Amino acid sequence: MNGLNQIWAIAKREQKRMLARGIYTFCMVLAPIMAFLFFTTLMGEGLPSELPAGVVDEDNTVTTREVIRNLDSFQQTNIVEHYADVASARKAMQQGKIYAFYYIPKGTTQLAISGKQPTVSFYTAASYLIPGSLAYRDMKMMSEYASGAVGRATLYAKGYTEDQAMAVLQPIKMEMHAVNNPSLNYSVYLCNTLLPGIIMLLIMQVSIYSIYVEMKEETAREWLAMADNDIVKALIGKLLPQVTTWLLMGLFCLFLLYGVWRFPLNSGIWPMLLNMFLLINSSLALGVFFCGLVPSLRWALSLATLWGVLSFPISGFSFPQMAFPDTLKGLSWLFPLRHYFLIYVDQALNGLPLYYSWLNIAIMIAFWGLPIMLLGRLRKFLLEFHYTH
Amino acid sequence: MKWLRNTIEVWAYEMKCALLDEGVIVFFIIVPLLYPLLYAYLYNHESVREVPTVVVDNSHSQLSREFTRRVDATGDVQIISHCQDMEEAQRMIHSRDAYCLIYIPKDFAKDVAEHRQTTVELYSDMSGILYYKAVLSSCTEVSLDMNKEIKASLIPGATEQQISTFQYPIEYKYVPMFNTQSGFATFIIPAVLMMIIQQTMVLGVGMMAGEEREKVRKHIAEPHIIGKNPVEILMGKSSVIFTIYVIVAVYLVCVVPILFNLVHIWRWQTLLAFMVPYIAACTFFSISLSSIAHDRESFIIMFVFISIPLLFASGISWPASNIPMFWKGFSWLFPSTFGINGYVRITEMGATLEDVQHELNALWIQTLVYLGISYLVYKRTYGKQLWA
Repeated sequence: MNGLNQIWAIAKREQKRMLARGIYTFCMVLAPIMAFLFFTTLMGEGLPSELPAGVVDEDNTVTTREVIRNLDSFQQTNIVEHYADVASARKAMQQGKIYAFYYIPKGTTQLAISGKQPTVSFYTAASYLIPGSLAYRDMKMMSEYASGAVGRATLYAKGYTEDQAMAVLQPIKMEMHAVNNPSLNYSVYLCNTLLPGIIMLLIMQVSIYSIYVEMKEETAREWLAMADNDIVKALIGKLLPQVTTWLLMGLFCLFLLYGVWRFPLNSGIWPMLLNMFLLINSSLALGVFFCGLVPSLRWALSLATLWGVLSFPISGFSFPQMAFPDTLKGLSWLFPLRHYFLIYVDQALNGLPLYYSWLNIAIMIAFWGLPIMLLGRLRKFLLEFHYTH
Repeated sequence: MKWLRNTIEVWAYEMKCALLDEGVIVFFIIVPLLYPLLYAYLYNHESVREVPTVVVDNSHSQLSREFTRRVDATGDVQIISHCQDMEEAQRMIHSRDAYCLIYIPKDFAKDVAEHRQTTVELYSDMSGILYYKAVLSSCTEVSLDMNKEIKASLIPGATEQQISTFQYPIEYKYVPMFNTQSGFATFIIPAVLMMIIQQTMVLGVGMMAGEEREKVRKHIAEPHIIGKNPVEILMGKSSVIFTIYVIVAVYLVCVVPILFNLVHIWRWQTLLAFMVPYIAACTFFSISLSSIAHDRESFIIMFVFISIPLLFASGISWPASNIPMFWKGFSWLFPSTFGINGYVRITEMGATLEDVQHELNALWIQTLVYLGISYLVYKRTYGKQLWA
């Protein structure tokens, strides 16, 4: 019972310290909430619509104007400007005014009517990957449609029915199913990992700061003395208020994603609650591990920062991991966010039974073992080392 | 010329401090040096190739085998298995052996032979949007080719040109500009490079200011500060940061793109004229922010995470045209927003200085505003007790 009392006393001391310094409130409450609201409202549309695009219509006939009107009515494209020639449209692109433009050369209509197969073209600013590819999709669809319209008209004139005409024009058709995210919602695709990633990064940094700031301010001995120099009790007491806060933030994050924004949650909420619980604790464990690795606030923080920032690309939620070099594929096992992402894909996104995720769950738990190896070292650091600049 | 001598004294002393402080060295030199290398290595392959895909071919016909063979031959998709039924295919996707599924219906060949339109269904795991793109573009490409051939058989004796005209009364051509391979590295790395400049500077300057504040609390006076006025101190300190970052920026925005063969079609004069206000804006932005640094390390936990929202706020990923006004206003506080956009357009799209006029103006305005704030900060910090 004495042990529990000690832990409780340390936890209360830590809570007081946390409340006394703005940095804890900022990094554990304000920063994550702001980041959550930022990402979810930034991509609130799901799929960006009405992207500014231009046209160069040198032909300027009833037909080409119809094509342009149609293109404008597509959801992702908004024709904002007509340009006299390709050079000025290109200029507008370099100025960042448009993401794409459609070019109809002079004589297109005449050539099409006389069966001489004219060519129209569309250009996208591929440096901006997302708007570039969405504009590409609309403009390609429009081109197919325009071409098909002429073809269908010819066939109807020959007495074909619509079905017959389509069978001639496009014998084999593709039908795409984006499983569990049919609208290609970018927010679903990114926020589900970005938000927990922000939590993970902040957890590692705050835990390291809270431990080594005691060394810096020469209060480490006092802290450990409260636990009879038992590092386990001292750490549990210190991290208890942090875990509690992070769990609340994690709950808020899940509530925002699945309660407010109604992102796919095909597994029910329990596996995701487990996932968040595992991520929070693995991140804490890594934080303590880094403390045990290097006896310096600054270096441990730098390590955690490197690890935390690298977590985002390496977990493979935006650029898939299959295209990474093999070394990095192996290395990615050491990042809790990678496992969180995979569990999320199996559970919330695809709704598979929990046992599909057992390996990732096991590894997340294994992270908790990391700091245990270094507890003795950490204790020694805290009792013997002095903060140096 | 007392002020000049004073400024140079501050400069020399601060330069020595910065270069001897390993914590500052990490942010000013090591991170900018190594981080881009890591990123370039990560996105070495630029795009997703050979996405593992399974096929359920219920048609079992020569035509369906021809279709899958051709899809397999494309660079983006690799057929790893032919499954008996949808259950087996799904199992392979669930165990992450495959990411996409091509389903060919029973009547596939029969429909084509009897002049009915037939539909091939494609399924993609949505854990990554690039899988979706890969399977859709490969299969569409193959189907367009096969459609052309099928039509040729419908119109016996027609020439290639006639068939093509029949298929496409209006032909179309797609031209991806600037990032012609739609490469991921080319897309993300330039933005990350500019972000590194701002963020490492904020962290390094914050660390130096935090240290100074710790010393003030312990009543340790900095000898070189005594007898200087705030303007001299500000000029001295900011030119230290500026000098270091001119060198860092040459490496980041010139050497790295050349080293890793990213698209770089800049004119050096344009780049220079753009980078000077960017570094200046970042410098005074960092100094202004550093006024809230309480100790050496607090800045690291307060400002690292923000790099990620800022990268998105720049409009490099989610388009700027679709960023809600509130966040757009927020993003204007940071030099990185304008820096990233201007740099990407100058470097990848060959924009001239007039093309990035908007960004350039914004950076100069930021420079002036943050210079003003920096002055006020320094006046408060050094004005009273040290002005002699």
